[in-house]
Amino acid sequence: MTELSGTQVAILAAYAELIEELGSDDVSNRVIARRAGIAERTVFRNYPTRVDLLLATAAWIEATVFAREESHSIFDIPLAIRDAMQRYDARPELAHVVAETAMRGVNGAAPSPGRAQLERLLDAEVPSLDAAQRRAVIAALSHLDSVGTWVTFRREFGMDRRDIADTAAWAAEAVLDSIRDRVAR
Amino acid sequence: MEEPVDTATAILASAAVLLRERTFDDISYRALADEVGISERTIYRQYPTRAHLIAALSNWIEQAFFPLPPFVTVSDFRAAVHERFRAFDASPAYAYVGARASAISPTLDIEPAYITRAIEAMLDVAAPTLNRRDRRRLAASLRYFSSAMFWARLRTGFDMDAGEICDAFDRAVGDVLAKLLDATWAER
Repeated sequence: MTELSGTQVAILAAYAELIEELGSDDVSNRVIARRAGIAERTVFRNYPTRVDLLLATAAWIEATVFAREESHSIFDIPLAIRDAMQRYDARPELAHVVAETAMRGVNGAAPSPGRAQLERLLDAEVPSLDAAQRRAVIAALSHLDSVGTWVTFRREFGMDRRDIADTAAWAAEAVLDSIRDRVAR
Repeated sequence: MEEPVDTATAILASAAVLLRERTFDDISYRALADEVGISERTIYRQYPTRAHLIAALSNWIEQAFFPLPPFVTVSDFRAAVHERFRAFDASPAYAYVGARASAISPTLDIEPAYITRAIEAMLDVAAPTLNRRDRRRLAASLRYFSSAMFWARLRTGFDMDAGEICDAFDRAVGDVLAKLLDATWAER
């Protein structure tokens, strides 16, 4: 994420706050400006379009509200996923915004921001995987370690916070089962 | 004889046409109204917010372009999902609408998707004695790996094509199925 100015942080935080209060990302720039204590044209100047504003806000939410502790092993990822699901569940409106912006294709947010870290951990611990298996493990964990998991389990299965965290971590453990005993020494 | 099309459906069909040349965000209600030949206000009456519009559009696209082949066994399920991922690759703009719609905050009471029920029914037959918690874990995992979101993430975040996505899907399905004991499975 590029360095944000104080004004930009004020805009993004105000917008996120309003999304939570109103239950929708349909908030006018005028209302956002008033909440941030700045002029409306300042919002436009920093974020010329709604999409610019929404993507910046989603990235800011990921990096702050949903920030995670760094994992030191690929085998710690299921624990990180469990924690992440609980954080999403505490802030459902923000979780939906982040989930949706990651599903817009090339015009959207990066759908797998944790990919580089997963690759680093996996390459250090289990370097012997062939290319296809490595790619599949990273892709599956990256998919599970995302807010899409929380949205889908809640919406399609009516799961509560505990069951979502449990199921997501269980699936991540299943993905790791195939490489559990292949750690380099 | 062509079936008469109601206004709500005509709006969705026109939105799908516009999606071929621009993204969903670039389809204004104004442009959509012109395309259908109705007033902007009529569109607002049918779809009060863009969230309502994308939810309805996704359902319509799903039925028109991505019908799910029926499946009963796990291998049929894999084949059905492969077919879908290939169909997504052939019409990415439509598939992204599906992925997006499945991520938004629901505008209405949402029924679980047909594929969710089909996966649950498949497990009822394939693993009738499996305990409830593991059954839900398994159903939810299979559902999530077979989703438009999985396709969209792997395509955008990993530059994978349908073949590679099918391969990653097969491995993930194999991983979660392997969590269960062999004796769990009815005749295979």
